[in-house]
Amino acid sequence: MSACTPLIRIKDVAREFTLGTTTVQALRGVTADVARGSFQFVLGPSGSGKSTLLYLLGALDQPSRGSIEVDGRQIEKMTLSEKDQFRRNEVGFIFQSFNLLGNLTALDNVLVPFLPVGVKPGLRRQAEELLDRVGLDNRKRHRPHELSGGEQQRVAIARALLKQPQLVLADEPTGELDHSTGGEVIGCLRNLNTDHGTTVVLVTHDESYIESGDQVLRLRDGKIVDQQQA
Amino acid sequence: MWRFAIQNLISRPVRSLLALAGLSVAITGMVGLFSVAEGINRMVSETFSRIPGLAIMQAGAPLPLFSRMPAAWGDEIESMPGVRVVNPEVWTRVNVMMGERVIAPPRFLFGTGIAAREKLKADVYRDAMVEGRFLNASDRGQLHAVISRQIAEDHDVGVGEELAVNGDPLEIVGIYHCGQLMLDVSIILDIDVVRRLNRFDRQSVCAFYVEPDGTVEDQVLVNKIRERFRGREVKTSEGIPGVLATGHPLIDLLLAIQNWLSARGDPLTSPPVHNDPEAEPIEVRTASDWGERFKEFSADLNLFLSVMTGIGVVIAVLSIINTMLMSVTERIVEFGILKANGWNRRDVMLLITCESAVLGVTGGIIGCLLGLAGTSIVNSTWPDRLQLYASPSLLIFSFFFSTFLGISGGLYPATWAMKLSPMEAIRRG
Repeated sequence: MSACTPLIRIKDVAREFTLGTTTVQALRGVTADVARGSFQFVLGPSGSGKSTLLYLLGALDQPSRGSIEVDGRQIEKMTLSEKDQFRRNEVGFIFQSFNLLGNLTALDNVLVPFLPVGVKPGLRRQAEELLDRVGLDNRKRHRPHELSGGEQQRVAIARALLKQPQLVLADEPTGELDHSTGGEVIGCLRNLNTDHGTTVVLVTHDESYIESGDQVLRLRDGKIVDQQQA
Repeated sequence: MWRFAIQNLISRPVRSLLALAGLSVAITGMVGLFSVAEGINRMVSETFSRIPGLAIMQAGAPLPLFSRMPAAWGDEIESMPGVRVVNPEVWTRVNVMMGERVIAPPRFLFGTGIAAREKLKADVYRDAMVEGRFLNASDRGQLHAVISRQIAEDHDVGVGEELAVNGDPLEIVGIYHCGQLMLDVSIILDIDVVRRLNRFDRQSVCAFYVEPDGTVEDQVLVNKIRERFRGREVKTSEGIPGVLATGHPLIDLLLAIQNWLSARGDPLTSPPVHNDPEAEPIEVRTASDWGERFKEFSADLNLFLSVMTGIGVVIAVLSIINTMLMSVTERIVEFGILKANGWNRRDVMLLITCESAVLGVTGGIIGCLLGLAGTSIVNSTWPDRLQLYASPSLLIFSFFFSTFLGISGGLYPATWAMKLSPMEAIRRG
């Protein structure tokens, strides 16, 4: 793939949910491209479909209509096993509420994706280096409840990056942090994007961070209302 | 994966401990119950291994106590080639000893032909004397008894002292100790004394103990004796004294189970007297025959115990399913996160199965240890009433069974968690 080819191509994607007798249209025909190595913000108010779009990009969900292509592969046509492989090797997730496992240390949380296949010493060293890079060199053996919100989110970032993914999907990673700590987290992600060329798609409703990004996609009621360079 | 599974269990200590308790209790119960059957098997095999000769009883009688045969048949048997000694035996139950009712453990008056007994090469009682002497010719017609150390200790009597049995004062001339529950119940006297004390028909015996001379194979000798008495009638002038139960819990349990499960009729009722020329009035058994016969008993007992254990096992499995299901329900978000991080369905299932397997293994170890401790406590508390035995094979089986229960109990919750959509799981959080 050439560098100018978009990493992600979203074509007329719709996603409907049925809640009892009501059908909710979370996305209504979204079409967009995300450039390889870019830092993409997805902005929009609550219920605009930002997170739904993110989950679709990460193969955690299936679109009701349309297609999503990541690095030339159509996600909706992947088998369950291929989706598992895709998530394990190519995508890193960061969630708003950190979603760390409470009974594991920071280091073990970073290693979680590799627990089923076994953690080799080299991988453990890599995880330690990642924690060093996100400024948690003295907090590796601490459990999530012993870490601040910002520290927890940095553990989540290290976890997302250990597999050296080409795509990081962040769902409101600053949502539970104060503005200053949120800025640090965004800065951390931006540095990794710049240093390693990792494509980052970051969902937020806080417009104050968008200057750090390359592109901004604005959603409202499941539709794109604006797409621009940051 | 295993470390993660163990950490998950430790992070929910109360729930894990409750599941562990449920499983451990079931396995303890299983070890305890089956140790009863194993204890009986062991006791029987050890007992019969010490009685190498042939036992002859009335056909259909489960124990010598319920058997009656003409005493004269003993002379006929002794005249057969291959027979060295025939020792007539009379067995009756002791109802009162030293003024106390004897219920459990049971005690029996064992009347033996002293002259014949002295000729025996191997005598389980004579060879087990620990104090005093065994019966000899001077004890014929006398109220002289040889008792077990267990009986002596229970009633605090010794050699030269008196033991009141069914109101009759017996002088203790010797004390034996076989260390076997089935053997150490006997108070040994001259056969004629037992007959007299119990108004037992003088022309009858309960059983014959035959010591072969080794010139004929045991099985050949068995067949010859059976052949000799085929078609004869068992004529006794008395019915079997009213012994509806032996009073020994294990033996009574065996009898009850044999009646109930095997539907072989009431063994306490003598087989009908007949004129069928092919009918066999006696049973001639070697030690191995007795072993086989008790295997039938214990097979029935095992079935009965399996049903009882099954109840505990069902409760244990439900407990594990409940624990794991609750644990899975609580951790839906966690599974969503794991899946978002590349865990596949198999990995999630494996994690939950590992957790339930850890419960199974730990429950198995605890259950086996508790069961083993329980059998030791029971054996040391009631040495003359129960002999439980938790064999290594029973413990190994129980351990693996517990592991199997743990794994199978976790399968349903694991399958449920495996099928969860990751997005749905994360959104629930």
